[in-house]
Amino acid sequence: MNDATEYMDKLMQELRRGTITIGVLSQLSKPQYGYSLVTMLAERGIHVEPGTMYPLLRRLEKQGLLVSEWDTNETRPRKYYLLSDTGKEVYELLVNEWKTIAQRLNNIIEVKGEGTDGDD
Amino acid sequence: MEMIDRYIYAVTQKLPHSQRKDIAAELRGLIEDMLEERVQGGNITDKEVEEVLLELGNPSHLAQKYRGTKNYLIGPEFYYSYILVLKIALISTASVIFGVFIIQTIIDPVSILQHFIECIVSLVTALPSAFGWTTFGFAIADYYGGLNPKVLKTGNEWHPSKLAPIPDKNRQIKQYEPIINISVYTLLIAIFAFSNNYFGIWIFHEGFSGVVPFLNLEQYHSYLFLILIFGFGIIKECLKLVYGKWTIMLVTYMALVNLISLIAVLIMVNGPAFWNPNFMFELTQADLLTKGSEAYKTIRIIWEQSTLWILVLLAIGLVWDVVYGLIKVTKK
Repeated sequence: MNDATEYMDKLMQELRRGTITIGVLSQLSKPQYGYSLVTMLAERGIHVEPGTMYPLLRRLEKQGLLVSEWDTNETRPRKYYLLSDTGKEVYELLVNEWKTIAQRLNNIIEVKGEGTDGDD
Repeated sequence: MEMIDRYIYAVTQKLPHSQRKDIAAELRGLIEDMLEERVQGGNITDKEVEEVLLELGNPSHLAQKYRGTKNYLIGPEFYYSYILVLKIALISTASVIFGVFIIQTIIDPVSILQHFIECIVSLVTALPSAFGWTTFGFAIADYYGGLNPKVLKTGNEWHPSKLAPIPDKNRQIKQYEPIINISVYTLLIAIFAFSNNYFGIWIFHEGFSGVVPFLNLEQYHSYLFLILIFGFGIIKECLKLVYGKWTIMLVTYMALVNLISLIAVLIMVNGPAFWNPNFMFELTQADLLTKGSEAYKTIRIIWEQSTLWILVLLAIGLVWDVVYGLIKVTKK
């Protein structure tokens, strides 16, 4: 059991790494700051720790998918992130890829399930 | 709120200077947001701060996430060559130190203990330094190589048609051969560089009592030529290591290196005062020869023609080197 959870943790980490990016990009057609994104995603059932979110936002910005701007008008200064033009393009392509992958994986999982049933 | 400052400092001090200020400001905003959500307008106590910081986790881990993925000095692209060069550097250094120890012991066997201690001290100081410099060189190469996308791209333009044929067993160069040769060359360079005065006729009068040197010790360039020959030898061994098999290209390069080294040696040997100008005189001084005897005349003739002979021998050696390569290339 312990081994299984350990492997599961590693695999989940890999799996989440890619999907979190899609989740983040999906919310950034309007400017958001890091913590508001954490809350928005959490409300939709996707839990991203702030310690993961903030470095991720910076990395996506460095890669050119996001642009950022400091807003100093509010009570405390916040850095807002928004999809760049490249970011929008990449997001659309990513979503298509994701849908295909999800569909194919579903097929495989379901077909395999039927197969073993048939063998029995 | 000192704890928050400490936390932010702990994260940002491990980050590149250019990003610190921005990340610090963003992180502070985040912590304040998280605190506010927790207390909902109430008073913020140390307990809440602690909880929030615990949720954010170990500052070193957070800093690592900010830094990204490059957490290595020498990446997989360079690792194989790094290990190879490291082997060469360490084996060469160790063989130089042992070689010097053996020679010192032959010359002065009484102080063997002292030579041994010196040998151990040299090993302890020189091996880590060889390791350090090799690592340093590759770390720099990795750093700049990593920034250059072309380096990575060339690896991607791969096609099955570009696969090199498996070399004939006869044409293969075993990796340990060049490594051993480089070590030997390094050893020879070290010996001549630090004890060139022993390169000559050794005189024994009840034990070792001195040397009549072949070379003109007052002229530095006269033993530079030996270093040059071995240096070119090392270059050739490196070429062998890179090619890994005998090919026409390799032999061509080796011929080129040989030609250059021959020309360099020609220029040096014919330069002023290359050989020890008092060689014959010193031999008589050492009571090895009597002036006017048959032996004296013979040795004088040999000595005067030595330049020619050495050049002839060197040329034969270098030509053989190329011929050997050609034989290896054409052998089926």
